[in-house]
Amino acid sequence: MKFDAPVIEVKNLNLTLNHQNILEDISFLVKKGDYIALIGPNGGGKTTLMRLLLGLEKKTSGNIALFGKTQRKFSAWHKIGYVPQRVTQVDINFPATVLEVVKMGRTALRGFFTKESDEDRQAVYEAMRKMDVLDLSERLIGSLSGGQRQRAMIARALASKPELLILDEPNTGVDVVSQQRFYALLKELNTKDQLSIIFVTHDVGVIGDDIGRLFTVNQNLVTCNDPKEALSCSQMSELYGIDAHLVHNHHHDH
Amino acid sequence: MLELFQYDFMIYAFLAGIIVAILASITGSFIVLRRYSLITETLAHSALVGVAVGLLTGTSALWMAVIVALLSAWLIEYLRSYFNIYSDSILAIFLSGSLALAVVLVSVAGEFNASLFSYLFGSILSVTLEDLIVMSIFGSIALFLLLGFYKELYFIAYDEEVAKVSGIKVKALNFLLVSITAIIVALSIRVVGTLLIGALMVIPTVAALQYKMGFGKTIVLSTLFALFSVIVGILLSYFYSIPSGATIVLVVLFLFILSLIVNRR
Repeated sequence: MKFDAPVIEVKNLNLTLNHQNILEDISFLVKKGDYIALIGPNGGGKTTLMRLLLGLEKKTSGNIALFGKTQRKFSAWHKIGYVPQRVTQVDINFPATVLEVVKMGRTALRGFFTKESDEDRQAVYEAMRKMDVLDLSERLIGSLSGGQRQRAMIARALASKPELLILDEPNTGVDVVSQQRFYALLKELNTKDQLSIIFVTHDVGVIGDDIGRLFTVNQNLVTCNDPKEALSCSQMSELYGIDAHLVHNHHHDH
Repeated sequence: MLELFQYDFMIYAFLAGIIVAILASITGSFIVLRRYSLITETLAHSALVGVAVGLLTGTSALWMAVIVALLSAWLIEYLRSYFNIYSDSILAIFLSGSLALAVVLVSVAGEFNASLFSYLFGSILSVTLEDLIVMSIFGSIALFLLLGFYKELYFIAYDEEVAKVSGIKVKALNFLLVSITAIIVALSIRVVGTLLIGALMVIPTVAALQYKMGFGKTIVLSTLFALFSVIVGILLSYFYSIPSGATIVLVVLFLFILSLIVNRR
């Protein structure tokens, strides 16, 4: 069997801003096919940690390796699909159809002045099919509901055929029914396509049974490999007071 | 009306106008969506410094306008990227600073006259063959780059951060966009003048945006609006002996108001 380099390997990562430790001595490993929920209080550094991984912030010290390469040398950014926090709050007047938005996902892979190839078209079609937005293709992104827009943004991330999907609180402004549909789609991507997923959220309850591992970040990071036993990960409950019963509370309505 | 085209200057005028309309509206679409409309005004004033240098040294005002506008665009983008100054403050500083410098240079050159007036408000009938050649050379380069990086510039306009994460060289492309804008602004001063070029870059796009379509269609409509305004504006300018810049801007403004009314909720 071929050896797969870890998707992400972080060692002793530190971030200090204005003499304040934002993230301290963070180490973790993400393997192919992992489905990780990253939780923690607001201001605890969840988003900052993701931004560090994506090269949008500069670390103070430590090592980040992506797909077996140090972050500095890493160039295959198409392997990472990123859906930022504010997907549901895009400028509603921006002139973009769903198809135009999803095609953006292929931009970096296509070169200067190249025409769209069959492979590009196929990848865009597949991404839209998986996220069930084919029938919205010509709709303006600003005219969609929160749930539809969320799926369109993930389709854009999928269009580059990533191996890792990073979703930063993608649920803001999305109704419960759409959320459940969305989790089902994510689970499918994770199990069928072996896509590694990092899901940043403050509400771990709804994804509950789907996720494989739970990371909690509040300046430090604690990993828990079986989220169903979050309580027995004693540090976690001690440090963050996680309401662990939520973890089992799958597909609840509230 | 066909007799208009018996004159070389009329043919030059229309060709210059068409080049400017196409380039200004396409570039303008990206600039408007980046919320960076004011840069067009600022670069127009920098271009005026170039014109002043041209008048002072007896060199080509158009060439000088292109060079000074480019340098100014790079300096603005550099300050915006590497220093902690608000973008709009930088633009305001450059706008008034350039105008002050231009006034001093023009007054030293003793050129406060009709020639300066034509650069301020556009005098399309004074476009020379040399101007047209300069416009075609720089215009083709600008159009080539715009079409080549169309999809990257669009992605950056939509979401700069996600574009960066996906591996697009955002900083370099931002420099490219302001450079193209600088070139087009400088090229346009013969047609619409420094005081009015902002309007030709911004208004066609804002008018097209009212129709709420995708980007591809919006950019085509914006270009059509710009072409219509330039052609009708030149004709009005010719028949009523009014500076072309003003007539063109009033036509595009009319299209904008019409678009607002047609698309009112």
